[in-house]
Amino acid sequence: MNWNDHLPALLLAVPLFGAFMAPIVCLFGKTLRNVLLIGISFVTMLVALLLWRNVLVGGIAVYVMGGESFNLTLPSGMALPIRIIMEVDAFSAFMVVCGSIASFAGALFSTNYMEKFSGIGRFVSLYFLLTLGMLGMMITGDFFNFFIFIEIASIASFGLVAFWRDKPEAVEAGLKYALVSQVGSMIFLIAAGSLYGKYNALNMAAIGSMLQFGVMEKLALVFIVGTLAMKCGSFPMHMWLPDAYAEAPSGVSCLLVAVSQASLYGLMRVCFSLYGINLGGSFIPWMIISMGLASMFFGVTMAVVQHEIKRLIGYHSVSQVGYMLLGLGVGLLVLTDARGMAEYGFTAMKGGIFHIFNYTMYKGLLFLAAGAIYYATGKRDLNEMGGLARRMPFTTAMFVIAAAAISGLPPFNGFVSKLLIYESVFAVHPALTVVALLTSVLTLASFVKVFQTAFLGPEKSVFTGVREVPSGMLFGMGVLTLAVLGATLFPSWTLSNLVEPAAKALVDQAGYIGAVMGGGL
Amino acid sequence: MFGTVYTGFGYWDVTAWIVFFAIASGLTLWLRAQGRDDYKEGTDQDEIYWSGNPVPDDGAEISVPASSAYWGFRKAMEPFYKVLTGMHTGIGTDIVGFYVLTVAFMAVFILL
Repeated sequence: MNWNDHLPALLLAVPLFGAFMAPIVCLFGKTLRNVLLIGISFVTMLVALLLWRNVLVGGIAVYVMGGESFNLTLPSGMALPIRIIMEVDAFSAFMVVCGSIASFAGALFSTNYMEKFSGIGRFVSLYFLLTLGMLGMMITGDFFNFFIFIEIASIASFGLVAFWRDKPEAVEAGLKYALVSQVGSMIFLIAAGSLYGKYNALNMAAIGSMLQFGVMEKLALVFIVGTLAMKCGSFPMHMWLPDAYAEAPSGVSCLLVAVSQASLYGLMRVCFSLYGINLGGSFIPWMIISMGLASMFFGVTMAVVQHEIKRLIGYHSVSQVGYMLLGLGVGLLVLTDARGMAEYGFTAMKGGIFHIFNYTMYKGLLFLAAGAIYYATGKRDLNEMGGLARRMPFTTAMFVIAAAAISGLPPFNGFVSKLLIYESVFAVHPALTVVALLTSVLTLASFVKVFQTAFLGPEKSVFTGVREVPSGMLFGMGVLTLAVLGATLFPSWTLSNLVEPAAKALVDQAGYIGAVMGGGL
Repeated sequence: MFGTVYTGFGYWDVTAWIVFFAIASGLTLWLRAQGRDDYKEGTDQDEIYWSGNPVPDDGAEISVPASSAYWGFRKAMEPFYKVLTGMHTGIGTDIVGFYVLTVAFMAVFILL
């Protein structure tokens, strides 16, 4: 048996195994629990990296669950695939790498961060279920299966956001997220059911090969785009996000950043691979671009006036998602225009996809740094902080790197992805670049405020006993800092090996369909 | 490995930036070294000037809180923020309402 063939299944089996083992292992003490949390997260990351390497070398990996053979999508005599099929192209593999790194960093951080609290067995279980749901969304090729993974991720998120159930704010944030998320899931299910009713298939490649852009398909597309845009935190449906991110334990906030990207992945997968050339006009691309612009501007303006550190970072998540929607929306706008795609569309897509990687790394790092401050001082309000750089030098250094990266300061990775977006979307209309640049300026202003009020200034007497956070938390932040610095120092390598293959896979609708259906479009 | 990133309209070279940064840092440090040579560490010259008053012992008394940052910006943008913060009620049904309205808006316009 060649293990490489079974990597898509292993990617889901490993965190699922961890989730079921957690309640048992946690009975045997803290050390074993930490070994499980770190070990399973690390193995998941390793599987994700192997899967990414395999896909780069061998092309799209298809895995049939429960069939007579794992690579037989259409057994003899069948016109449509009926099994659950995992389909991993370079875009899925890229997303899986981003998500698994965030999950590993969050797990490392949580070993120390969560030790003051009870019910850690449940925490570890939910953490792995959230990882499973996220990774499942990124690799499934089946529409109903995508809905199942959304639900797994959502239910785990509700529990983790409200994990500190003695805090009313945490329970309220979990409830709000549950409410809007469940309404969205039902709308998504209606869309999936409608497509199934008409095409007698749930496989995305199979539906994509038959799709005609009629009234039902238009409504299904709107339901899917609306739901997944809401779940990735797009304006004006973002209001659950700052609450949920602020109240979740920081290791979970780091993972939630990657989970929101799984929804963005779903949105792009449906638009590019399922509808693709049948998208019918420019309404949906312009809708995505408009949501991107609104998310960028309104997200950052809300962030500037916040003084609660995690809420401030949460509003920046809304703003950063806008950059990705803008870049990928411009790519979608010129999907059927070969010249536009060659001149600026593909660059915009590369910028958007590179920003997914950058955002996941530096935003995760910012949440972990905010968690480190809370762990050391017990404070989340910036008004009560000051002079922490003297007491927490490592946290300060890593926070500065993440803040510089998100603000798009050269030479950091955030600058490179934003540069690709600025220069390419300019070709559509200069106003798009102006909004993106203004957002970047306000982002810098916002993080200058955080840095000045939390880390600089005279030392406050209440913080004389504050010490740097334990090593597990520093290692968790260190993993993401290395990822940020890696993408900063080696932007060409990152673009050539991670981003470009993902962008090419996303525009290759025929390749995605052909991997399952054989004949393509 | 470091390489140059081409955007289609320009390019970004991290190596060139690092070289430029190193030269600029060297120049800055050289200029700094040309400063006054009568500075003595650990003397009165190190004291903070606090408008002629004794400097409070606790930093909390002399720090500017985050809420006071960019007060001019917030004051100038007050009408904008009144509308924007008014939208963020934090009420669950409002959050669902914005989602339903957005989907309905898209549904109407895609069918037109």
